Amino acid sequence: MFAESDLNARNKRVQGLFRMLFLMMTILLIVPVAIILFTLVSKGGSVISIDFLFTNPTDGMTAGGIFPALLGTVWIVAVALLASVPLGVAAAIYLNEYAGDNWFTRLIQLAIINLAGVPSIVHALFGVGAFVIFFGFGTSILAASLTLAIMTLPIVIVSTRESLRAVPQAFREACWNMGATRWQTIRRIVLPNAISGILTGVILEVSRTAGETAPIMFTGAAFFLPFLPQGVFDQTMAMSLHLFVVATQVPGVPEELPFGVALVLIAMVLIMNSISIAFRMYLRGKKKW
Amino acid sequence: MNAIIDQDDNQSPEYAIHTRNLNLWYGTFQALFDVDLSIRNGMITSLIGPSGCGKSTFLRSVNRINERLGYVRIEGDINVLDNNIYDPAVELVQVRKQIGMVFQRPNPLPISIRDNILFGHRLHNKGSKADPDEIVESALKQVLLWEKVKDRLNHKGTELSLEEQQKLCIARLLPVKPSVLLMDEPCSALDPKGTAAVEELIWELRGEYTILIVTHNMAQARRASEECIFMLMGRVIEHQATEDLFVTPEQKETADYIEGRYG
Repeated sequence: MFAESDLNARNKRVQGLFRMLFLMMTILLIVPVAIILFTLVSKGGSVISIDFLFTNPTDGMTAGGIFPALLGTVWIVAVALLASVPLGVAAAIYLNEYAGDNWFTRLIQLAIINLAGVPSIVHALFGVGAFVIFFGFGTSILAASLTLAIMTLPIVIVSTRESLRAVPQAFREACWNMGATRWQTIRRIVLPNAISGILTGVILEVSRTAGETAPIMFTGAAFFLPFLPQGVFDQTMAMSLHLFVVATQVPGVPEELPFGVALVLIAMVLIMNSISIAFRMYLRGKKKW
Repeated sequence: MNAIIDQDDNQSPEYAIHTRNLNLWYGTFQALFDVDLSIRNGMITSLIGPSGCGKSTFLRSVNRINERLGYVRIEGDINVLDNNIYDPAVELVQVRKQIGMVFQRPNPLPISIRDNILFGHRLHNKGSKADPDEIVESALKQVLLWEKVKDRLNHKGTELSLEEQQKLCIARLLPVKPSVLLMDEPCSALDPKGTAAVEELIWELRGEYTILIVTHNMAQARRASEECIFMLMGRVIEHQATEDLFVTPEQKETADYIEGRYG
């Protein structure tokens, strides 16, 4: 009575087949990442050293280190975050906590979605027009960072909104019913509980900002500079552009050099991600509801 | 008496809540019809009636949380301690301070037990010199929770059992000295033991606060209230001392409801 029928057997086979299919797809997903990392480490690992990280390029960029590019990327990312995180978080708080559902907020939503879809080269040209020329920042870290900030703003806004939305409405109601204003509710309850999610958005943004090339090559990043940036109005070298340059623009570069640059760039992003993820897990572990 | 839960002595009218010709619409649906109620100061009054009779709607219009929905229209007056709470000069934050609310589902905040108790106090009594430790202890003693949680005041309020959470939600209203406590089916998420404990607590609080409690549970209304209001289809059918309402109801609808003929 409870023995396996032909239909059961067939269903089981099909189920097993699909399970395998999905598993294969998942593995396929990891393969490129593994190959990239393996290639970078095996081909570029040999050039990595303390000297490589902390000296200037020499011999027409065919030798020496990457320090100006490394420092430049840190500058660009830091300034871009300073601009986009407060702006994006504030906009997300407005949209999620204050704004009603009307044509105006829907228009803003649409604008954000569209902003996320604009190709980075278009952002680059916008950056040239707006920051380099119109605001007169010249080609500078400031212009490059602001361009990147605008490009990555949707990431911050969308992820912040998601994490605000994940805070149960019951908490807000509880606060309001005790006479808390919206702001008191946001500051004491909503933000502390959304912070781990907001951080996720910032992580994504850091990775994206550090890796972008097009938006900075016209607005603030230089092929080669013999000096380090002293402030936000200076031009700077940057890792992403430097990789492009040594890989394609300069003759006579030893093969392992571009791989080394790429390895450092990817390691920077991975290290920053790991730190933030660890921090996020710590915060999430403290949260109980 | 304890300083923390002292009420304003300068005004103690006979009725804490007094409504006249209260009509309420959700959009085009009329939920309350000409509600005239006078709820006695310092007593526990229960609101009973079948689902959709308007008892929760009435409760929620007393502290003006209905209007958050946006499509609610109200006509008539609601006076709380002789002040019309729908007067344009009324500050909503003061309404919320004077009229505490307890919900069906306990909703402690995801902060420590101590901070839960002090949340309202910090909002309303900024710069107060009162000792926060005393406030916490006194509020928790009032709700019979102190012995259980005194060693873990830094634990999250959300880690407590449902019964304890509901007691915490009542306790956190007390430090701002509200006049009225509204309770919307405060025991319906609790097991019988929790229900008994919270009922006992509510009974302890009578006299010091005017308590208006909505319940689905007739036995609870009978056990835990001094006056009882029976509502049906958005109208008040009967309002009497609880024992009279259950023993000698004046209206046929009331009699049929408490005998379980409908609802």
